[in-house]
Amino acid sequence: MSNSVFSVISRFVEEYRSSTPNKLKMIDAYLLYILLTGVFQFLYCVLVGTFPFNSFLSGFISCVGSFILAVCLRIQINPQNKRDFLTVSPERAFADFLFAHTVLHLVVVNFVG
Amino acid sequence: MYPFEGLFSLLVLSLVLETQALTPTHHLTTTDVARLQTLLSQPFTDLKSAYYSVVGLSKLGISVADAATCRFIKSNLDPSSVESLFFAAEASQALPGCEIPVSNDTRDLLLATVSEDSTASQIHQSVSALSSLGLPLASQEVVSALKARISKEDNVLTIILALQTASRLSQQAELGEILEEIEDLAARLDDLGGVYLQFEEGLEATALFVSAAYALSDHVDMEPPLKEDQVIQLVNSIFSKKSWDSLSEAFSVASAAESLSNNRFHVPVIVSAQGPAAISHSQPFLRLQVTNVLCKPLSSASVLVESATATSSKSAILSQAPFTLRDGVFELNFMASQPASGYYQFSVAIAGDSRFVANHVELKVKVSTRVSINNMDLSVVDKDQSIGPKTTRVEYPAKAKASFMADSHQIFAMTFQLVDETTGVELTPHQTFVRLHNQKTGQEVVFVAEPDSKNLYKFELDTTERKTEFDSISGTYALYLMVGDATLENPILWNVADVVLKFLDEEAPSTIQAKTLYTPKPEIQHLFREPEKKPPTVVSNAFTALVLSPFLLLLILWFKLGANISNFTLSPSTVLFHIGHAAMLGLMYVYWTHLNMFQTLKYLAIIGSFTFLAGNRMLAQKAVKRYTTQSHSTAPHREVQSTKERDIDA
Repeated sequence: MSNSVFSVISRFVEEYRSSTPNKLKMIDAYLLYILLTGVFQFLYCVLVGTFPFNSFLSGFISCVGSFILAVCLRIQINPQNKRDFLTVSPERAFADFLFAHTVLHLVVVNFVG
Repeated sequence: MYPFEGLFSLLVLSLVLETQALTPTHHLTTTDVARLQTLLSQPFTDLKSAYYSVVGLSKLGISVADAATCRFIKSNLDPSSVESLFFAAEASQALPGCEIPVSNDTRDLLLATVSEDSTASQIHQSVSALSSLGLPLASQEVVSALKARISKEDNVLTIILALQTASRLSQQAELGEILEEIEDLAARLDDLGGVYLQFEEGLEATALFVSAAYALSDHVDMEPPLKEDQVIQLVNSIFSKKSWDSLSEAFSVASAAESLSNNRFHVPVIVSAQGPAAISHSQPFLRLQVTNVLCKPLSSASVLVESATATSSKSAILSQAPFTLRDGVFELNFMASQPASGYYQFSVAIAGDSRFVANHVELKVKVSTRVSINNMDLSVVDKDQSIGPKTTRVEYPAKAKASFMADSHQIFAMTFQLVDETTGVELTPHQTFVRLHNQKTGQEVVFVAEPDSKNLYKFELDTTERKTEFDSISGTYALYLMVGDATLENPILWNVADVVLKFLDEEAPSTIQAKTLYTPKPEIQHLFREPEKKPPTVVSNAFTALVLSPFLLLLILWFKLGANISNFTLSPSTVLFHIGHAAMLGLMYVYWTHLNMFQTLKYLAIIGSFTFLAGNRMLAQKAVKRYTTQSHSTAPHREVQSTKERDIDA
């Protein structure tokens, strides 16, 4: 049982290393970074307390929002999905990503207090 | 079913209303009449005010026999003005021995004014002037002119003036139509709450209507179509105002008062008690003033008590007892009938003249008496009644010599009787209180003494039962008896005895607090919301570092993946885009520290549009580059494919 799981995982990692283009790997690294930041914030809240609760919420939502936007960017840039996004060029996706981030950061900074 | 019930109740209601006639609620007192007289006696400035003063005072029965007034009138007369002639003529009529010289022109002017084209007031003034100056006038012409005037102007003042004018005409003229106007005008009066009846034009119009209506009715000797209740309501309206704004208002009130006192049909009667309507042994006479609206006593009246009933027991004390007239006041010795103390309802009738209106009056009379306390017995009884009570009798107003002691095993008791001083009848006044006053602490406790079925008052004080009222404070209490009632002339406050009360000591409060009801209360300190406890700075700093650490990881990963920094073209749009983007991130930081949303949005709009333009440029360039590289990469690819296909074909 564990054997099959291990083999599935190793195969997945191998495929990932070989077939994903570099651009997507960069975005995946960024996603990992965002994820870790969010996890560490949550850890603080659990361990120390929710004292400035609004700050915790805004930080955590910033991480969640950024993660989602980056995932959207990744989907839109992926050449394998080109047929689903005929009207959206990668540049357009990146511009949308930047604009959405501006709005997100405006809200987050407003709420962080 | 419901309509019949409604009709039935309406019938009952109307019967009830008919049996209760109205009596005037507002009338002039002698001070009001004096005030009216003073107002009318003001020195006059012109002919109009002279007219109001002289004629007004004559209506009040005061004649101004003054040669100076006559000279004033003559010198201010303007023979070319109808109004001036009217004022002068009427005023000189009221002054004995004052004659206005009349010329033919004057007469012609006055006669010419009597026509359909003149206003009602002009017609009234010329007719009155002609009549007062003794000049002949054609009554029928006047009547037709008035009728024409009324049909043109249907307002209240015009009709009142028409009525006044008609009363100066000869009795042979056809005044029937004008007489009917009284009824129509009476229908236009506003009924306010069943108490007042007045024109919406005001007090003056109502008063002038009353004097005009009665003047005309007297002139033609026909009773005016005003019901008794309406007359009383008119009296209420006209005499409710006790100070008058203008001379004309005062004049109208004086004319109305005069016509209501002296006409041939309705004379309202004003009945008022002299002083409070209270009788006692020291004052056995009930005195009533019976006057007309001008406060002149009606000496021809005979006043009779139809019935006098006690309000509590509804038993009749008097029936058909006459009042005797003495010095203009009607009096009756009510104490002679030996009434018990209390309130009595008197129904008084005033007879003697068929013109009297509102001559049935209901009065509430109070009979007071003096009270005396009998058989005041004080005793201290043991609860288990093993020891017999020792009663001490105390006589009012003395105080018991020894003080009484009562502790938790004993009851202090008090009995007494309250009787009428003169008749010896037992009384039950409204207030019979027993007050215990602690001289040291200033505490006082009040109890009510209740009478039993034999009208014997009892008061019992059980120290254990009543300890909460006393706060269990032992000590000497002064005992007072308070007796009072509206019908008692001598309310009593009597320090009967001193009582020493002993309560169980453990229940007494340690400090004797005076009842602090009105002293300042302890100040409330407002506690602001405490800020939450912050975690130690070390912990926060550690976690801040932890949260920022993934950024390092990101940089490392990107470096390992071979981030494409070499592709960074230094075209102006790219540079500008990166600067703009950095500026936006910087703005976010500044927003966090200094700015508010509005300022941020303002700056963001500026920086954002700049960044957008630069970024758009940059991305377009990138897109072009991407397309060109793509087309270069796909073109040879296609060629390879076609050769492959050719190989296969071949």
